[in-house]
Amino acid sequence: MADKRAAVSLIDVRYAYPGSGAFSLDVPQLSFAAGVCTAVCGHNGSGKTTLGKLAAGLLRPSQGSVLLEDEDIAEWPLGRIGKQVGYLFQEPTRQIFAPTVLEEITFPLTLNGMEEEQAQELARTMLARFEMEPLADATTFMLSRGEKQRLAIAAILVNRPSFLVLDEPTTGLDARRKGILGRMINTLAEQGVGILLISHDAVFVRRYAGVTYRMAEGRML
Amino acid sequence: MRGPHPSEPPQPPDPRAVFALAAYLSLFAVFTQTLWLMGALLILAASSAILLHVDLARVFKKLKRLWQVVFTVALLQSVFSPSGEVWFSAGPVVLLSSGGVAKGLIVLGRLAILILGGSLFATYGTRELIQGMIQLRLPYEIAYMVSVGIRFVPLMGEELRDSLTALALRGVVIKELKLRQRLKVYTYLLLPTVAGSLHNARALAMSMEMRGFGAFPQRTSYFTFSFSRRDYLLLAATATLTLLTGAVMIRGGVT
Ligand SMILES: Nc1ncnc2c1ncn2[C@@H]1O[C@H](COP(=O)(O)OP(=O)(O)OP(=O)(O)O)[C@@H](O)[C@H]1O
Ligand SMILES: [Mg+2]
Repeated sequence: MADKRAAVSLIDVRYAYPGSGAFSLDVPQLSFAAGVCTAVCGHNGSGKTTLGKLAAGLLRPSQGSVLLEDEDIAEWPLGRIGKQVGYLFQEPTRQIFAPTVLEEITFPLTLNGMEEEQAQELARTMLARFEMEPLADATTFMLSRGEKQRLAIAAILVNRPSFLVLDEPTTGLDARRKGILGRMINTLAEQGVGILLISHDAVFVRRYAGVTYRMAEGRML
Repeated sequence: MRGPHPSEPPQPPDPRAVFALAAYLSLFAVFTQTLWLMGALLILAASSAILLHVDLARVFKKLKRLWQVVFTVALLQSVFSPSGEVWFSAGPVVLLSSGGVAKGLIVLGRLAILILGGSLFATYGTRELIQGMIQLRLPYEIAYMVSVGIRFVPLMGEELRDSLTALALRGVVIKELKLRQRLKVYTYLLLPTVAGSLHNARALAMSMEMRGFGAFPQRTSYFTFSFSRRDYLLLAATATLTLLTGAVMIRGGVT
């Protein structure tokens, strides 16, 4: 917790899903510090995912602003946000695209101009960190849920985001893989990455989060 | 029971008859390369959808998102295999030709017919659809595959949006890519959607099996369908159309 700079700040943010009146999110002021894993807990439907999507710029607030390292991201296209922000969706199948595990990590790199060899080397290093190297040539469709989850995280981390939103990252992971993920979170935090950890997993949160907030009905408690 | 009462909304046809119609439409839509035949199929699909009270505005909204694909296909076809009249070129490179545009339109027509064909089932619940397929003596695995495939059509919009967001966040912005790369990304986008629905189909088939489906050769059902005269007419019309269209395609050598 060396670094207390805000990676992302929400200021007077309000949000309501278009066409559904029941739920609204209202956050007067909230910062996610760089180099800290900040957890958000709360019941189903309390607005955790909505908060995460707002913080990552996937949803635009109806009111107020979201600052990414002190810059308002209201006008930023997703491609630019993605250079700094990584987002793990609650449902990993929607963010796995390539037919094989290795290619899933290399294709954004090569599309953006990296040499195939360099991309593969990077990908293998990343897979090794998640103990997925033996699966490098496996078909992504056949992976178990936990493996998909790890692959999705590995694919996000290869972009070296400075802010990371993990929506329920422990779903489907066994105890050992939770440990690996937790240590990875700690390492990233030490490197100065700001992390928003959305989780129901109280043990995991207590163990790896530096700060914990609770949410209910779209408000921070 | 089935005779429509004048004051009540008419009952939809038997799902099996609609299957036949949708199967006819999609089969020929997938295989034909002829613009006028595609147009005729499209008109037939659209009028069937109207007769079955499908919300056409929603179908159009779905198609609007596919325009880019059509344009890309037209451009690629024009550049790599220019045919017909050249409409637009940059030096020696043909950018837009009548043949290329025709190919693009055929792709659009094909997608439109497939989406319309799927939308014909919008008025039926899953239960009715599966019952219909089981009475057609389709193995239940296939019945599930098909019914999940049908479910997958309306879901595509939302899943596609999430997937596009995920791609953009990983630094892949479709608008910034070269054409060839774009095409590759389009195929990538199919994976999460198709894999998702296949996965559901597998899980469903398995859970049905565990509940004893298929344990006995003859299944008992709580409710069954019986064909009305209108259903027989619809089936006969579909059969005639299938033969006619097939004959046209074989005779004219149009495939
Ligand atoms: N796309 C949407 N359109 C309309 N309402 C939505 C949408 N997504 C979520 N909601 C509603 O917003 C509220 C908050 O949802 P959110 O997904 O943020 O909750 P959550 O805390 O992440 O729940 P969970 O623990 O189940 O993941 C819920 O009442 C939900 O029904
Ligand atoms: Mg959630």
